[in-house]
Amino acid sequence: MFDRAGNTKIHKRNYPATDYERLFYPRKVAILGVSSGENSIGFGAGILKSILAMGFEGKIFPVNPKGGQIAGLNIYKSVEDIPEDIDFAIVSVAARFVPEALEACRKKGAAGAEILSSGFSELGTPEGQALEKQIQEVAAKGIRVVGPNCFGIYCPRSALTLLPGPDLSRESGPVGFLAQSGGMSIDFAHAAKWMGVRFSKMVSFGNGADLREAELLHHLAGDPETKVITMYIEGIKDGEAFFREMKAAASQKPVIIYKGGLSRAGARAVASHTASMGGSRVIWQSMIRQAGAIQVADSEEMAQVTMAFSMLPQKSFRNITVIGGGGAIGVTACDLAETHGIEIPSLSAELQERIGNHLPKPGSSATNPIDVANPFVGPQPLREILLAAAEDPRIDLQMIVSLLFHYQGLAQAMNLSVNTVTPFRELAQAVRDVVDRTGKPVIAVLPNVKRGLESMDVTEMMAMARQEYVNCGIPVFDEMHDAIRAVARVNTYYGGRKK
Amino acid sequence: MKNDKANRIIEKALKQGRKTLSEYEAKQVLSAYGIPITKEVLAKDKAGLESGLKKIGFPLVMKGCSADIAHKTEKGLIHVDIRTAAEAKKAFREILAGMEGYEGGVLMQEMIKGRRELVMGLTRDPQFGPCVMFGLGGIFTEILHDVSFRRAPLEIRDTKEMMQEIKGHKILDAVRGMEAADQKLLSEMLISVGRIGLDFDSVMEIDLNPVILSGSKPVVVDALIVLK
Repeated sequence: MFDRAGNTKIHKRNYPATDYERLFYPRKVAILGVSSGENSIGFGAGILKSILAMGFEGKIFPVNPKGGQIAGLNIYKSVEDIPEDIDFAIVSVAARFVPEALEACRKKGAAGAEILSSGFSELGTPEGQALEKQIQEVAAKGIRVVGPNCFGIYCPRSALTLLPGPDLSRESGPVGFLAQSGGMSIDFAHAAKWMGVRFSKMVSFGNGADLREAELLHHLAGDPETKVITMYIEGIKDGEAFFREMKAAASQKPVIIYKGGLSRAGARAVASHTASMGGSRVIWQSMIRQAGAIQVADSEEMAQVTMAFSMLPQKSFRNITVIGGGGAIGVTACDLAETHGIEIPSLSAELQERIGNHLPKPGSSATNPIDVANPFVGPQPLREILLAAAEDPRIDLQMIVSLLFHYQGLAQAMNLSVNTVTPFRELAQAVRDVVDRTGKPVIAVLPNVKRGLESMDVTEMMAMARQEYVNCGIPVFDEMHDAIRAVARVNTYYGGRKK
Repeated sequence: MKNDKANRIIEKALKQGRKTLSEYEAKQVLSAYGIPITKEVLAKDKAGLESGLKKIGFPLVMKGCSADIAHKTEKGLIHVDIRTAAEAKKAFREILAGMEGYEGGVLMQEMIKGRRELVMGLTRDPQFGPCVMFGLGGIFTEILHDVSFRRAPLEIRDTKEMMQEIKGHKILDAVRGMEAADQKLLSEMLISVGRIGLDFDSVMEIDLNPVILSGSKPVVVDALIVLK
């Protein structure tokens, strides 16, 4: 592990040679365990239909000993019957048939396979463990395995998708995501879709019999398509290897870690104070910091912080403006900013005067935070205010809090729909224009306090508004504290970045 | 490279089937790694006591010292602020009586003056291996849990972050007429604690508590080393 002087040895990257190109972007895919339809839809048929729905452009070879047809494709009775070599296989046959099926795929030239089937080491039975060991033995002969007991790979560029994922985005983006948990993966993929987070690739690796956290992290660190790495971790196999890869990856790109299952106290019987205080919670926190990665506390924060890293410029933002309606927003913003080491500096008298010219009177304030006093200040004055505030050379980022739900009252008074009355398209355009002109990012905060059944029109409008902003490349948060916390995490990475 | 002296002490304890080093042994191991410890002498008899008095001087702390005795305070085996030879002789008798036949002796050590107590330590995490701890020491260790960890081997940058990370980090500054702590020395001590963990797989846990700031200089006043 270490040389005699206590320095970390230069580790040989003795990971097996792996054709990741054919794993993530296969042209020819076999799907094993596709039933032809009279039974309820199994995993195999489900994944096949999902991949077709995603618009997979390559060839698919369904396999089932009974033969038949599915979705206009012939089902081959065996892998051997497939008339050409394959790049990748998706395996969802019963556990006891998996090792043999995997071997057949290897002989057909597959560079890798994902095994969706369960019934392996997760059972904790000798039979399950023995089957998983057989998978490892086949893998060692030259086919890389994702899983078993997983939801597989999601890759927008190739249309590989997670198990229940026929409707994920085909748009590629900067985020690489790794998790053992298939549920966490599919949930994040769905949330990311409306949040504007786009993936280079996502791997849910389940039991991780072959490919798992450290090696996949190593791959993503070197993957030019991946600019931000996010991971959900329950357990790791090798702390030394994982720490090394986390540190190496974080020296190149942001690495965001959500570690689930942390305990406060050391689980083992210990004699010293030091050991009793070194529970997994504090140790993981320390390891993540030491590696220069960013820790998040839950899945919401994971998604929000990933969005911030993937949509904001790669730098830290110490000084910000906050523009919103209502004095309490300003006070809240100041409290939050102080907690997270962010400044909201007062603007110069000259800028305040110019900003004041665009504000309704009385009740507004042109210092920073800028209180626009009423929620109906239009896109044009807001654009002018943002442009003026950005002239302060100290300002790194602007945050605009828009209480769009108030338009419901206006819409009702005018007897119009809230979608028609709320100028979210113009607002999003105005913000985009400000970002382009000033070169300083703007974050939109779109809270919605009207979430009741009687306000479904507001809920719909808010979703449309968010999409409009996201399409303009503007990150949107529901709440100001989420936004400020996410910016603080970005600052932690770029501000304290290890040289 | 394993330090020879430390290796001899640890090997001897392991051969005797012991799970801990005595305070005296633990401090010898630390000292072998350049970690500053109290000036101290282990006295087993009257002659030892006399020579200890000459070497250490007053004021003096005397402790029952044996690998088998934990919780010395609760058992009345610690006498502090001893200022005369008569007090020392009385303490010596009482401590030996209190040790109830445990093998060992009486540790005579200089009394370190300083109001700032720190803690350092080492734990072996099942995933990440030897991890070094730094934090507020003395009674505050258990009360405030104001500590930080880094995995060994530590770099100087890691030790600086550890010191900065605790909430009470200002204790290291020049406060209330006290000198700023020698952070360079603290860094070296933390790195050395990590090195002991890397050099000896048999060292499971280390507690250095308190580490007292004597002026600007940290000194390990009490030490526990737990073996596999």
